[in-house]
Amino acid sequence: MEKLILRRVDRNSEEMILNFGPQHPSTHGVINFIVETDGEVMKKAVPDVGYLHRSLEKIGETVTYPGYMPYTDRIDYVAAMFANEGYAIAVERLLKLEVPARAQWLRAISCELCRIASHLISIGTMTMDIGAFTPMLHGVRERETINDLIEALCGARLTYNYHRIGGVAYDLPEGWRDRTLAFLDHFDKFLGEFDRLISFNEIYVKRLANVAVIGGAQAIDYGLVGPNLRGSGVDWDLRRDMPYGAYPSFEFAIPVGRGFVGTSGDSFDRYYVRVLEMAESSKIVRQALETIPEGEILAKVPRNLKPEAGEALSRVESARGEMAYYVVSDGTNKPYRVRARTGSFTAMGIIEDVSPGLMVADLVALIASLDVVAPEIDR
Amino acid sequence: MAETTVREYAGSIGSTVKSFWHGLSITLSHLLRRPMTVQYPDRTPLHVRDMLPPRYRGFLEVDPDICTGCQACERACPIACIAIVLEKDPANPKQRVVSQFDIDEAKCMFCGLCVEPCPTGSIQHTREFEASQRDIRNLVFRWADPEKPFPVYKVDKTAEYYPRVPLGSLVRAKLAERAWDAPGPKYLPPEPPRPPAEKPAAPAAAKPAPPAAPGGQTPESK
Amino acid sequence: MTANAPKPYAPRRSPKTVVLLTLAVGLGLPSALFAAILFLSPLTKPEMLGAALGLLGADFASWSPAGQHLAYGAAIALLAFVLLNFGAIVSGMTVWWEMRVSSRMQSRVGYNRVGAGGFFQWVADAVKLLFKEDLVPADADSLLFRASPYFVLTGFALMFVVLPFGESLIAVDLDVGIYYLVSVTALVVVGILLAGWSSNSKWALFGGMRAAAQVVAYEIPAGLSIMVPVLMAGTLSMQGIIREQGAWPWEWFVFTNPFALVAFVIFFISQLAEGNRTPFDLPEAESELVAGYLSEYSSFRFALYFLVEFGNLWVMSAVAVTLFFGGWQVPFVDAEAFAAARGAGPLPGAGWWGLQALSMAVFVLKTLAVLNLIVWIRWTLPRIRVDQMMTLCWKYLVPFAFASFVATLLWQILVARVPHVELVTGLVLTGAFLLVAALFLRRTLANVAAAGDRVDLTNW
Repeated sequence: MEKLILRRVDRNSEEMILNFGPQHPSTHGVINFIVETDGEVMKKAVPDVGYLHRSLEKIGETVTYPGYMPYTDRIDYVAAMFANEGYAIAVERLLKLEVPARAQWLRAISCELCRIASHLISIGTMTMDIGAFTPMLHGVRERETINDLIEALCGARLTYNYHRIGGVAYDLPEGWRDRTLAFLDHFDKFLGEFDRLISFNEIYVKRLANVAVIGGAQAIDYGLVGPNLRGSGVDWDLRRDMPYGAYPSFEFAIPVGRGFVGTSGDSFDRYYVRVLEMAESSKIVRQALETIPEGEILAKVPRNLKPEAGEALSRVESARGEMAYYVVSDGTNKPYRVRARTGSFTAMGIIEDVSPGLMVADLVALIASLDVVAPEIDR
Repeated sequence: MAETTVREYAGSIGSTVKSFWHGLSITLSHLLRRPMTVQYPDRTPLHVRDMLPPRYRGFLEVDPDICTGCQACERACPIACIAIVLEKDPANPKQRVVSQFDIDEAKCMFCGLCVEPCPTGSIQHTREFEASQRDIRNLVFRWADPEKPFPVYKVDKTAEYYPRVPLGSLVRAKLAERAWDAPGPKYLPPEPPRPPAEKPAAPAAAKPAPPAAPGGQTPESK
Repeated sequence: MTANAPKPYAPRRSPKTVVLLTLAVGLGLPSALFAAILFLSPLTKPEMLGAALGLLGADFASWSPAGQHLAYGAAIALLAFVLLNFGAIVSGMTVWWEMRVSSRMQSRVGYNRVGAGGFFQWVADAVKLLFKEDLVPADADSLLFRASPYFVLTGFALMFVVLPFGESLIAVDLDVGIYYLVSVTALVVVGILLAGWSSNSKWALFGGMRAAAQVVAYEIPAGLSIMVPVLMAGTLSMQGIIREQGAWPWEWFVFTNPFALVAFVIFFISQLAEGNRTPFDLPEAESELVAGYLSEYSSFRFALYFLVEFGNLWVMSAVAVTLFFGGWQVPFVDAEAFAAARGAGPLPGAGWWGLQALSMAVFVLKTLAVLNLIVWIRWTLPRIRVDQMMTLCWKYLVPFAFASFVATLLWQILVARVPHVELVTGLVLTGAFLLVAALFLRRTLANVAAAGDRVDLTNW
């Protein structure tokens, strides 16, 4: 990057260096791209990260094990449930703790609702970056209902802090099951409407099909995870391939990009895999609500947690792909080290490689299709 | 650009017309439907506070009448926004009293971790959330009066429930006391005024002045 | 204790006075403008001016030539003033209407705080913009930066010269009206290009360049498709084109000739592109170019651009109505009826004024319908990319525009040879249009039902 900034630009050349961010409506203060353009065509776009760094991993070393849970909300504030769950599972592995079945189910329900909410934001902002404002607000409207549901479940709309080490904090409130099922009925219809409104709009398809193609091998090389990886045609989902929690009990499909309108691995595939995933999540929530077992929601956990010295790793399939927590204990009541591996950070790496030859407008589509969330990049 | 066949050329016109047809009909159908915006704050059917679910995590409220002074909430708080000081009642040395119970709502992240260990349910989240203040220091809620420390509650293990005042009433009363633009305290938090009578008696009994400490224990003081 | 003592909660509603005031301004302001245009535009014709002054007791004919010219100039200046204000106020009201419509399309409520239904929001916005600091970037080309809004505004204002409002209601019925209109429109892009260049901002430069490329490219299909109604009418004059059409839908150009329908679609798309409206809002694409050529503008200059952008909607719609939708033609009222109502006197009779008002109402309603179509499209479609914008223009619109132009030539020969061909085509196409509209409405209601919702127009 230094090279790019410091290189003298020939005054007679046609090239222009653009600072795409941080003060830009598409990157809104948290990311910067240094873009080398020749007219509308980019020669290169180099991401510059770190604008939202808040030392979340370092904070983990200064608070107690349960006390770190609210901080995980802030690692990915669009889909905080997954960060909760990943951290909880890591500490449970340190403590060798069995989580009650009902808690596993509640985790699955809350996470899948959260996945729908997160994907709604993702596809919504994507349509807005392509220039259509209405679908975004339709997505946000549906997400609002999910927020209401989660608020009724755990009392917060964004930073849930719902999972606990050894289970979850609250049981289902009264009437919540029926409200959720009613919402899912509505939501399945909404997905059809959304597809007709924007997904297969000719302009939208033309803007995304065959744009910024990432092949399967390239995606694996760069460590892409989650919908981005599946959009490139790689059939890999931790919920099925390395099951955890309640997931082995559910039937669901893993949508994989196969070139829905263009090439496999183009921006539209990454987008549409998310749309299909929402339908699958909706199925999972239905199944979970039907089969949820009775019982405890929280295992017996000592108030002052002091795991034995050791280390544990957890991997969960978050809305942005694989999220891993690595927790090291030194036997005290505070972690020795907490490390979070997030999908957005690796997704940023591929932009430099994919961007040459794209147009400036495609860069926006590429960033949106990778669904990067700034706090996840910087933590 | 690859060569375009006639079929693709005509097909793209066809799919354009078709997709616009659907798109326009959907936006028009929404024009005919009712918007779902909640018109906060003054055009909702109820006060927004009353529309929130019961588990909503708003401002913390402490009921001093059933507070056991166990300090579990203080220990659970990851950001140390709760400060509790326990003392012995000068009148009755066996009775412990809480002389300071400050919650800095400006710092609180409303995670609810303090509520969970409370043995009596004294500290609770309420559905109050509207209390913007011109001076951020006014968001320190003092649940114990330093001049009139409250005695700790003795837990009756056999009790079915603990008599708690209606949730939210205490926070509301505290919010009503203070105008939004009230000047903040000079120090943060202000030195709790001590009863003047205590001073002559104290030096002999008390070790290095615990009464002066409370200010130093709160998270704000450097 | 007193400051925020809890009050019993009651949902807020707009007070009755606010509702009345809003209605008074919302209906009164446009009515006053339309009335002014109605009376002023005939009076700027010399003979009418003399007669009108005669009513006031002045003997216009006996005035010196200088005095006559002065009076004539004053009348024209007054009309120009009214038309400019009309442009500005229509632009403001369009902003309000667009925001209200779009918010409902997005399940929102939208403006509803300033005045009843938020009607005065556009006034508030304008006042706010006027009070903002007028910032000129230090490294900008100060002269061009300051000048460019006026190019845009001038281009916009000049369009109103030939914009018809009714049978005799037009500032000047130039015999090259539509040609004049196309040429002054080009002035707007000069302003935008200057703004992009002089701002010394990369985003503005991008926006300016995109705007220039776009507008220049789309002038061609727009010009070609305009030629179709011109061919059919045999005149370039705006009023002349309208007079060649009839009042009923099957007498409109758009339906009497199938190729004119194609031409209308092309014209409409090109107008969207020239007006920088979605899906052609590339020059100010927010997610890509921050605000495009407007990036560095603030205060009054920004307001001018905004005024022109939204005022343009009216112009675009009015031109489309003029060329394709029969303009101000009122059913059952033909040219003879107008002439008969006018009478032989120096000043027309009351009936004539009534007919003029009627024709104006017809024209305004049609224009508003087209305007709503543009608004509706904006809030549905995404934005196309720069290369696709060019592809669309050169590969789709230009060939089709050429084809419809040539086909119209042949069509005119056919019309001259075969009787009733225009009427039959008109009826068939009108029927087809109604069918499509009905199907569309059914589709829309099906959409409402499919989501388990119902038609509900409350909550404004």
